[in-house]
Amino acid sequence: MTYPDVVQYAVPLFVVLVLAELIYIRLTGEGGRYETRDALTSLVMGAGNVISGILFAGVTLGFFFWLWQFRFFDLGHAWYVVVIAFILDDLRYYWVHRLGHRVRWVWASHVNHHSSQHYNLTTALRQTWTGIFTFMIVLSAPMILLGFHPYMILFVGGLNLVYQFWIHTEAIVKLPRWFEAVMNTPSHHRVHHGRNARYLDANYAGVFIIWDKWFGTYVPELEADAPDYGLVHNLGTFNPIRIAFHEWVAIARDMMKPGLSWRQRLNYALKPPGWSHDNSRNPSEVIKAKYVEMNPDVRGTPGFEGY
Amino acid sequence: MPLYILGPAVVLGIGLIVLLTHLLGFSRAYAFVDEEDARVRWLREWPGDEVREVVLAADRRAALVSTPSGPGVVWALGADTVAKRLTRAEVRRLADGLRIDLPDFTARHLRLRLDRTEAAAWAHRIAGIST
Repeated sequence: MTYPDVVQYAVPLFVVLVLAELIYIRLTGEGGRYETRDALTSLVMGAGNVISGILFAGVTLGFFFWLWQFRFFDLGHAWYVVVIAFILDDLRYYWVHRLGHRVRWVWASHVNHHSSQHYNLTTALRQTWTGIFTFMIVLSAPMILLGFHPYMILFVGGLNLVYQFWIHTEAIVKLPRWFEAVMNTPSHHRVHHGRNARYLDANYAGVFIIWDKWFGTYVPELEADAPDYGLVHNLGTFNPIRIAFHEWVAIARDMMKPGLSWRQRLNYALKPPGWSHDNSRNPSEVIKAKYVEMNPDVRGTPGFEGY
Repeated sequence: MPLYILGPAVVLGIGLIVLLTHLLGFSRAYAFVDEEDARVRWLREWPGDEVREVVLAADRRAALVSTPSGPGVVWALGADTVAKRLTRAEVRRLADGLRIDLPDFTARHLRLRLDRTEAAAWAHRIAGIST
């Protein structure tokens, strides 16, 4: 049984939709912002992600097929198995993504996706080059051991990525209530890309927003608090190579600081972004707490529950 | 999809989008409206900071900020801005402004276009605020 590489087939669609969004914004003066160098950076990073995927395909496939020999079942290739695989893979994605924001080692790979101060369809393509080094492919192991074929897992993972493309837009404000309740939408994902204190560490969903609702990470987009896109401290470059590797470099520099214990060195890689051995930096919890201290009226509102 | 089709399609797609983005007028760099705008842009990245003084460059592409934690620069990066503290920064005068070397992998060399008088004043202020 073979499955198509949906991401590669979607490339022409990506180009057409980006052009459509660009022209829509120019004609209407609303629905988002574009900037030439920002868009170029995002697109080059997208191309780099495809190249990285091809270069490391052997590692991924090798790992998947090595695991496949230890499977408990063989669930076959019926359509409903593919549907179940798609849903379970989205649950896997939720946790990989959540770890991507809560473990600096994984964040080092994912941070580049958040490095644009824009939020448009090119931002969707600003993808990592270093995903393989996070070792997050181990989170696919349960599905393979359960008997979902490796090629099926790659296929549904591709579908997941293609779904997430169109939600990176400000051109769509809100969708019907039933859709917003179940699916990840532009509104939900704008929250995820927001650097506002309220929106930090929220809405990790890929396709189904229900995971965030179940696991307590859902925050709705509020009209009174429009998302401000980018990183807590934005990057001073459009150079894709610097963007792709900057957090890895920062981890290395932190781990090699003189006078640290081995536990502190390890913590610089494994604790959440913003952790520091001397509390000189602010992780997201501290950013939220300080924001609530400065703006007490937001206490208990979405994104600030428990502060 | 074979690579000999995917590769050129990606290159063509990127070229088309970038060209159209530029032609539609989306290449203009951010220009600070005034000192207050620069202050707001600084606080966007360093909320809660006490901004004591803002010196806006004549071309409105950068501003020098004075805070209790030391000096900082907020500057235009494309249509947006970036704000960095100048901790451990090295400042050098150039013919057309200042070069600031930062211990930051994403902003190692910041070149600011300033006229001779401005550059001297900025260099003096950075040294003054830092000490």
